[in-house]
Amino acid sequence: MRQRSVISRRATAAAAAGLALVTAAACAGPQDGDAQGGGTGGDGKPRKGGTLTVLNAEPQTDFDPARLYTSGGGNVPSLVFRTLTTRNREDGAAGTEVVPDLATDLGRPNADATEWTYTLKEGLKYEDGTAITSADIKHGVERSFAAELSGGAPYLRDWLIGGSTYQGPFKDRKGLASIVTPDDRTIVFKLRKPEGEFPYLATQTQFAPVPRNKDTGTRYEERPLSSGPYKVVRNENDGERLLLERNPHWSQKTDQERKAYPDTIDVRSGLDSAVINQRLSTGSGADAAAVTTDTNLGPAELARVGADKELAGRVGTGRFGFVNYLAFNPKVKPFDDIKVRQAISYAVNRTSVINAAGGSALAEPATTFLPEKKAFGHTPYDHFPAGPSGNPDKARELLKEAGHENLRITLTHSTEQNRQTSPEVATAVQEALKKAGITVELQGLESNAFNEARWDAKKTPGFFLSRWGADWPSGAPFLAPIFDGRQIVEDGSNYNHAQYDDPAVNREIDAINKLTDLDAAAQRWGALDRRIGKLALDVPLFHPVYKRLYGKDVKNIVISDWTGVLDISQVAVK
Amino acid sequence: MSTVAHEPAAAGGNALPPAAPGGAAPADGGGTARAVLRRLRRRPAALISAGVLALLVLLALAAPLITALTGQDPHTYHDDLVDSARGGVPVGPLGGVSAEHWLGVEPGTGRDLLARLLHGARISLLVAAGATVVQISIGVAVGLAAGLGSPLLDSLLSRVGDILVALPMLVVGIALTAVVPADFPRPLLLILLIGALGWGGTARIVRAQTLTLKRLDFVAAARLSGHGPWRVARRELLPSLGAPVITYAAVLLPANIVVEASLSFLGVGVKPPTPSWGQMLSSAQTWFRADPMYVLLPAGLLFVTVLSFTVLGEAVRTALDPREASRLAVGTRRERSGRPAGRLNGRLSGRLNGRPAGRPSGRSGAAQGPRPALGPSEPLKSPGPLRPQKKTLS
Repeated sequence: MRQRSVISRRATAAAAAGLALVTAAACAGPQDGDAQGGGTGGDGKPRKGGTLTVLNAEPQTDFDPARLYTSGGGNVPSLVFRTLTTRNREDGAAGTEVVPDLATDLGRPNADATEWTYTLKEGLKYEDGTAITSADIKHGVERSFAAELSGGAPYLRDWLIGGSTYQGPFKDRKGLASIVTPDDRTIVFKLRKPEGEFPYLATQTQFAPVPRNKDTGTRYEERPLSSGPYKVVRNENDGERLLLERNPHWSQKTDQERKAYPDTIDVRSGLDSAVINQRLSTGSGADAAAVTTDTNLGPAELARVGADKELAGRVGTGRFGFVNYLAFNPKVKPFDDIKVRQAISYAVNRTSVINAAGGSALAEPATTFLPEKKAFGHTPYDHFPAGPSGNPDKARELLKEAGHENLRITLTHSTEQNRQTSPEVATAVQEALKKAGITVELQGLESNAFNEARWDAKKTPGFFLSRWGADWPSGAPFLAPIFDGRQIVEDGSNYNHAQYDDPAVNREIDAINKLTDLDAAAQRWGALDRRIGKLALDVPLFHPVYKRLYGKDVKNIVISDWTGVLDISQVAVK
Repeated sequence: MSTVAHEPAAAGGNALPPAAPGGAAPADGGGTARAVLRRLRRRPAALISAGVLALLVLLALAAPLITALTGQDPHTYHDDLVDSARGGVPVGPLGGVSAEHWLGVEPGTGRDLLARLLHGARISLLVAAGATVVQISIGVAVGLAAGLGSPLLDSLLSRVGDILVALPMLVVGIALTAVVPADFPRPLLLILLIGALGWGGTARIVRAQTLTLKRLDFVAAARLSGHGPWRVARRELLPSLGAPVITYAAVLLPANIVVEASLSFLGVGVKPPTPSWGQMLSSAQTWFRADPMYVLLPAGLLFVTVLSFTVLGEAVRTALDPREASRLAVGTRRERSGRPAGRLNGRLSGRLNGRPAGRPSGRSGAAQGPRPALGPSEPLKSPGPLRPQKKTLS
């Protein structure tokens, strides 16, 4: 499944990926996370066989490894496309680790982490029995540079030497010189700057092998060659229905991560979220062996599930690295005044906001920008303690000092009913600020217009609702796009909403990127978050929680902290 | 629409009286307006509907007073009145009904539902009524212009009307809200949007009616006597158009409430936190199981309002319809009950006698030419012209 996380790095990259990202950003959200269950799914040992049905809202559009934007290789895509590395398929925090997949290890960096070498496992085969070679991985990465196969994350374009100008293998047959394949099992990536987190990037589907002689360009998505445990048998209406069957040439011996219990996986999308939840809760017929990878329980449904023990036992709970926040653009008055930003931080009533987001079961209060997980380097802080329901007195005091009594401001939000950047959340903020004497005018924009406005450096609103999701569980894809001054994009998608450019912070980001010790890096990301938090460039509001139903017959529920969603590759229906 | 007779004299006589109460020329219609009112009063359903609507309007107008009385307002959050762990469902029975919150509170926010419903009624009714006025005004103007103008103008306006009928209002609404400045008042925007896009039906009806009326003697006479199209439209046609237009307005108004609801439903209606029934329904839709009250209250009010308008509209239409008069006169019900048409006639002529002599109706002298032949100026009250009318029922 498409994780649709947000993120981008530098100007060149973002400019190219801008459009795709805007769409991706628009959809970023709990739709695509899933749940953590802690193995509550059914009893008895999981066995092979049966058909697993996936009931989804979003179709698997453009099911081509070059075009998918995933976190950790996605859920459904990961059944078909194996990548150099992948996410650890384990419950909870262990699931945030990156592990080898096609490669024998996580990659061997050179001294300054600008060169990464991978060796493929032996005996790897496609669904047609032919061997997977390192040249196929190289071709897979290269084709994601083709304009007609755009859609993936922009990192490759930014990181690889020559990536910013490369046009893809269809226009430039020589290929990308920064990817070298000394032999059939070895591949080397040469980066233009140190990137200690390259193994995380190698989990994305762009690192899936695509043999050059089987590449049909834009038509490859109709019949992609599988390297994973399942092959695509049918793909109707551009991913609306995807029927997957066992790939006989996939071997458990080379793949420790995917369990592949069901014989068939039937992905049906384009369903209404209420329909999905109703079908899962009723669980009649094939729906008893059904899961969803993109549909949360809504607050009203949650109220019902809470009263039903049987249903409550079939809810998987998970946390994807995600934050919803109020963003300031200090270029717009009065947000240039830190006291105004602090006052708003104090005035926010997180209880109301969380209720607007669906209640305490679906959202947890956030005072830090980084999600509350070790992998992200979460370091607790609350620089402007508002308590659960806000501190309007302190806010008034600050506004008085700043000479901004009877402040009138505009809060920009989306009209999309997503309970994240939606009118409900905006209204809750408006009501809380009213208590501090701030009059908030709401400006609701249709979701595309909203994304255009908030990601455009020239017309970024002064005060708006925003959200950010992780491309992989680390502080880097969280903090760098938003607080790295060199990532301010004038023409294209700019995620540095405050247009914050502090050379010291930029240097620290570079220094952390050099680290290949991911734990050490995480700690420093946490410290950096804490440091930037003092500037009140944003008000973290909440981290969403994913609650998803699964069918009665579904077993072996694994929900990692990487995706926050039930991992289809682990599920059994027998 | 073929409420008009083929027989010119009868038709001329019949098409006009309902026109006067149509309100287009109130100065003329005193007598007939009263007749219509009397006919309305004979219908309990109409009376009840009118009463319900009046009550609703009153409640909407008095919303600030009522909420002041209950000590609530439509915007204040009560985080303690909802169960956050269960998705924000209101604490307590029937959606959190209590002494402070007579109809309970909104899930997720704890805002007072009574206050939101009453304040929502203001917006919903205002938008619906305003939009109807705009629709009718444009529709009548365009319909008349199409009916009286050159064939080219007619087909041009008709096609524009067709396009508007086919235009999806929601899509245009979404597009417009992206373009219109944020501080433009949303209720006005909604009135203009619904009004400007929803006049197609009215225009079609008015055009058809105009084309039929145009061929009638009194109109022809007015035209032959040298009156321009503007004067013909104003003096001869408008009064006759009253009945169908009023009828149609009574249908449009509830439809407009629903349109406002669906626009707000999609987030292109009124801006939060301003309540409207549509906005309430929009957020209530998922709650029908967990908190039925939250859905039933706005839905019920919308239902009652739309029903009242429809019933009242239908009653007004019948009251204005000359055929109804004929049915009353020679119709089955009264005949069966042994009451001859004469009773009605007697009543009618009795009233006729009391009618002040003056300008009989909004007709020009030229058009009045054939009328004296029919006798008194109120053909409705004379059984004579009613009979030929029956032939024209279709």
